[in-house]
Amino acid sequence: MSAATMDAAPQRRRPRREIREITLLVVTVAIILGVGIVKPGFMHYDNLEFMVLSAVVLGLIAIGQTFVIMTSGIDLSVSAVMGLSAVVFGLASTTVHLPLAAALPLCLILGTALGSVNGVLVAWVRIPPIIATLGTYSLFGGLTFIVSNGTQVDQVSNQFARFGNGDLIPHLPVPTPVLALAAVALLAWFVLNHMIFGRNILAIGNNASAAYNAGIPVKRTLLFVYMIAGALASFGGLVFVAYTGSATATTGTGDHVELQSIAIALIGGTLISGGRGNLAGTVIGSVFLSVVITALVFLHVPAIWYSAGEGLMILAAVTLGAKRGAAR
Amino acid sequence: MGASRAADHNRTAHGERNVLAMSSPTLASGQDRAPDQAQAPRSGRLSAVEIDKSFLTNRVLKRVSLSLAPGEVHTLMGENGAGKSTLFRVLAGIHRPDAGAITLDATTLDLRNPHAAQAQGIYLVPQEPALMGELSVAENMYLGVLPTRGRLPGRVDWRSIRTRSQDSLRTLGLDIDVRDDARHLSIAQQQLVECAKALLRGCRIILFDEPTSPLTSREVGFLFGIIRRLRDEGYTLGFISHRMDEVMEISDRISVLRDGAVTDEVDRAGFDRSRLVSAMVGRTLSFDRKRTHRAASGRPVLTVRGLTHPSAFRAIDLDILPGEIVGFAGLIGAGRTEIAEAICGLRDKSAGSVVLNGQDITDASIPRIIEAGLVYVPEDRARHGAILPMSIRDNATAGQITRLQNPIGLLDRLREAEIAKQTLARFRVRARGPDQPMRELSGGNQQKIVFGKWMSTNPTVAILDEPTRGVDVGAKEDIYRLIEELSQSGMAIIVISSELEELIALCDRILAIYAGRITAELRGAEITAASVGAAFLGAGSTPA
Repeated sequence: MSAATMDAAPQRRRPRREIREITLLVVTVAIILGVGIVKPGFMHYDNLEFMVLSAVVLGLIAIGQTFVIMTSGIDLSVSAVMGLSAVVFGLASTTVHLPLAAALPLCLILGTALGSVNGVLVAWVRIPPIIATLGTYSLFGGLTFIVSNGTQVDQVSNQFARFGNGDLIPHLPVPTPVLALAAVALLAWFVLNHMIFGRNILAIGNNASAAYNAGIPVKRTLLFVYMIAGALASFGGLVFVAYTGSATATTGTGDHVELQSIAIALIGGTLISGGRGNLAGTVIGSVFLSVVITALVFLHVPAIWYSAGEGLMILAAVTLGAKRGAAR
Repeated sequence: MGASRAADHNRTAHGERNVLAMSSPTLASGQDRAPDQAQAPRSGRLSAVEIDKSFLTNRVLKRVSLSLAPGEVHTLMGENGAGKSTLFRVLAGIHRPDAGAITLDATTLDLRNPHAAQAQGIYLVPQEPALMGELSVAENMYLGVLPTRGRLPGRVDWRSIRTRSQDSLRTLGLDIDVRDDARHLSIAQQQLVECAKALLRGCRIILFDEPTSPLTSREVGFLFGIIRRLRDEGYTLGFISHRMDEVMEISDRISVLRDGAVTDEVDRAGFDRSRLVSAMVGRTLSFDRKRTHRAASGRPVLTVRGLTHPSAFRAIDLDILPGEIVGFAGLIGAGRTEIAEAICGLRDKSAGSVVLNGQDITDASIPRIIEAGLVYVPEDRARHGAILPMSIRDNATAGQITRLQNPIGLLDRLREAEIAKQTLARFRVRARGPDQPMRELSGGNQQKIVFGKWMSTNPTVAILDEPTRGVDVGAKEDIYRLIEELSQSGMAIIVISSELEELIALCDRILAIYAGRITAELRGAEITAASVGAAFLGAGSTPA
């Protein structure tokens, strides 16, 4: 009978998390169709391709951001890393004709190095992530100005442009960078769900001191997570400069990509308090945000409203997340 | 289906004695790939040798020695703050001792962190289970020692995690779906999962820090079933509880801690309630002046009738007379604080009335209740009382800041300083001056300032929740003297305390609160260590 007592507690099944992904997809398609009827140009191939490419850049950065948020941290410097990377490799392609094959690993090294600054500040110096990355946001943003020296990248090499805009398979209208996002997303999913490193991230986000007590290498894990966020932001910058062909000192920071990436992660279902992440939600969320922003342009909504709109989305996503927390 | 499943597990749980032994390979196999547990932990005699531990200036453990033997349930008893939990946390590697040694049989252990302790086979089931709510039960059980598979290093072997954790919970007689998120578990289930975690890690020394306080009696019975099985398997078991009946039931040996030192150790033959109570309380009171228990008279200043809260307390009746000091005796969780908070408007009640000086304040707002002359000084200074970074002056006047405006609406700094100085003098605070930051003061002096803040509103009734928690002996006496002075000036005071000595020394009348009800009333000569101790532990009282 005592066993029966222990069994009596409610056994709730885990909620079907796909609901969020499906809702996001349906809303995204509805926006595309809705705006497409009012403004037929919205559904034109060029615009669809543009939206996909900007979703790829956002998606890459937001996946890194998702990892950071899962540790219950935050990375405000991703937009500055993206901008610095876009300017550095854009300039390298126009001035010294750096080949793409060299640019790719170099950009990952740059991003990892910048991210490790955040990681050290958060894990060893113990500065709260929001302050540490606010500092490096300014620092890296300043570096971008110094490197670009006021000039701007306006014509990347053909090799870069082909990577940015070329089709993966001839005559199949899927731009090459989509492959990059797909590969990164799959890898991220595997690491998060099937590698000890990924589980350690979630454990830290749930309860860092309990994770430490369980023997999980908290500092090292945090360092790697910020390195990943930096590498992905840098990669996003490379893709950005490749497909747009241009970059300035305010690339990334000017569009508040850091806030956009946070909004995407939260809309996608990652908890701001950490401990639970949703990578599929992040990928779909980046398509959603890209479509929404482009739709606002097509509907002639003044650009000054975008920032306010993103803010509303972040607040809405956090409020909904908090509701779920309260319902426990 | 639920019933048949339950019956099924009943058989599993209460089948042959050797169920656990049979399943031990399953339980222990969880660690075969865990890198940190190369050598299998063993059971053995775990000893604390002359352990000393202080937190800041507060010396919690004073050269404590304790030895836990295999095949025995060894219980620590003692008042709150006696150092029981701290001792267990030292043994489990959570705190490092300032001096002394921890030995397992003949080996001296260096427990740098809980992980190191677990590698030695020592596991602490904490008072508040620390499962990670967003992770599955299975993953929680393997936290930090996730098994891997395949050639890729660090690839998690989910299938074996699921089946092994499910198996080990089944062996304990628990029907929990291990794929479920841990946040869906009840406290009792979480505690048993913690216990299963210890077994999965192959730990043979398990310390339970007050596991039963949030459990129902049936859940306690279930937990005790598991503890007994582990004991029969030769595990070394440590246990903390305040409930005398439980302790008598489960323990093979009892050690009593008092003020950070062991005052008594008895085996089963020596179990005796009054002996244990006196070891917990101490035979002599620490301060010289024993209070004469007065019989107060006059019309009640505070009258409470039928105060009820569905989950915390019911049918509470009180009549508090002017100048009276009334003690609420009871354990944490008995409902003492909840009743006080409900009286003061800080907590909902489903029925009942509160009348203060003829004024019905049952549903009044908190500012009105304070205005009417009732204040509540909460237990947790850091959270509810003292603003540590600010000065004594700011803290002392925080309760009446709106009254300190000068004619043009600015803060009257001169009067503020004056009040702060008065507080320092009146409450004998040891401080440099009104501008010293609160955080530089000792706990006792902080408490005096917090007192001063509330008393400056001149209440007719004050409720003090654990007024000397975390306060050193010297400051305690000052606070006791203060309470007496206030009561002599006609203020009625309710003292909530877990310390027997404090209640005996201070109170004219003591109400025993057990499981949300007033179970006994003691006054005058009835107030003795034995009677209050018994009331405390719910023993000796006749539960209605």
